[in-house]
This record gives sequence, structure tokens and C-alpha cells, in this order.
Amino acid sequence: MQTGHAKGVLATKWFLPAFCLLLGVVVAGAMAMGGDAGDAVFSLVLFAVIAAALALGGRSETVRMIRGDGRDERWAMIDLAATAITGLVLITVIIGACLYEWSQGRDGSPFSQLGAVAGVAYIVALVALRQRS
Amino acid sequence: MENDVRRLRTERGLSQAELGSLLGVSRQTINAIEKGRYTPSLPLAIALAQHFDRPVEEMFHANGSR
Repeated sequence: MQTGHAKGVLATKWFLPAFCLLLGVVVAGAMAMGGDAGDAVFSLVLFAVIAAALALGGRSETVRMIRGDGRDERWAMIDLAATAITGLVLITVIIGACLYEWSQGRDGSPFSQLGAVAGVAYIVALVALRQRS
Repeated sequence: MENDVRRLRTERGLSQAELGSLLGVSRQTINAIEKGRYTPSLPLAIALAQHFDRPVEEMFHANGSR
């Protein structure tokens, strides 16, 4: 079954490559404003390469999923699991970095705040999703 | 979950892509269902059963039972 994850312009194969390119321009602009011209050019080229790979990698199911076109319920399940794994990896890294910062006599910033945000977000999501199901 | 999707599909001369297109899912999803790597949602299982004019419980075999 088709899912409601990607509809309209978001479901076209050109949205994400265009967004990626736009993001590259914005990031490069911010870096250029900060005086990092070399990093700005490198970032712009990097984002352009990623945008081209997303636009031209139509035969790859993974690329099509990232892009948003051709999604269905199986991909929604894979996306959900991948998101959960990503969150788990991030939380693990944040906890590790927090412990390291504390062991060095520092206050754990910004990792302790990120961990707190993650914890609160999880509980809020849990309560909201429980009420919906 | 074991199922009869491949047999029913080939009996009707349909490709995985054609069946996927009829049901609004990808060829890869039909392939994953046929191989038992992906258990379809209830709406998709019902759509498959209706397409092949079979009861859902005859098409899908929980715990490998037939």
C-alpha cells in the first residue's frame, strides 16, 4: 500500500536533489560569510556531488527511498527501523561523550543538554503515540 | 511468513512489477513478500487476497502451517 509519507512535490525525484543543492548553497554562503572560502567551495562541491548522485541514481532502490519517490509500506517500515537505529546510535554517542566530558571535570555541555532533549522528546512522543493508538 | 503469492502470480502470468503496480507497491516489496522476508500489512494482505480471489488465511500460512 502507498503511504502518506511522500506526496506531491516531495514525492518527485527532483525535490531532494534540488533541496540538497540549495542546502549546499546556504551552507557555502554561511561559511563564506564566516571567512572560510575554501571550506565554502568544498561544501558546495560536496553537496553538488550528493545531489547529482541522488538525481542520477534512479536504479538503486535505496537512492529512490532516500529521494522519496516509489515509497510504499515496506519502505515505511524500513524507514522507521532505520530512524530508530539512528536515534539509538546518536543517544549512545551522546551518553559516551557526556561521560567523557564529566570525567575530564567539565560540565558535559553540550552533550548533557542534547541527552536531556532526547529523553524528553522520547517521553513526549511515547505519550502522544500511546494516546493515538 | 510463508505464502502462495508467487504461485498465484505466476499462474496468472503476472510479473512482480505488474502485480506491484496493480496493488500500489514496488516490485521489491512483492519479491520480499514472496520470499517471506516481509509480512504485509493487513490492508495489503487483503488486497492481495482479493486480487487472487482467495481468503487471506489460505494465501498466508502463519507458523508455516498449510
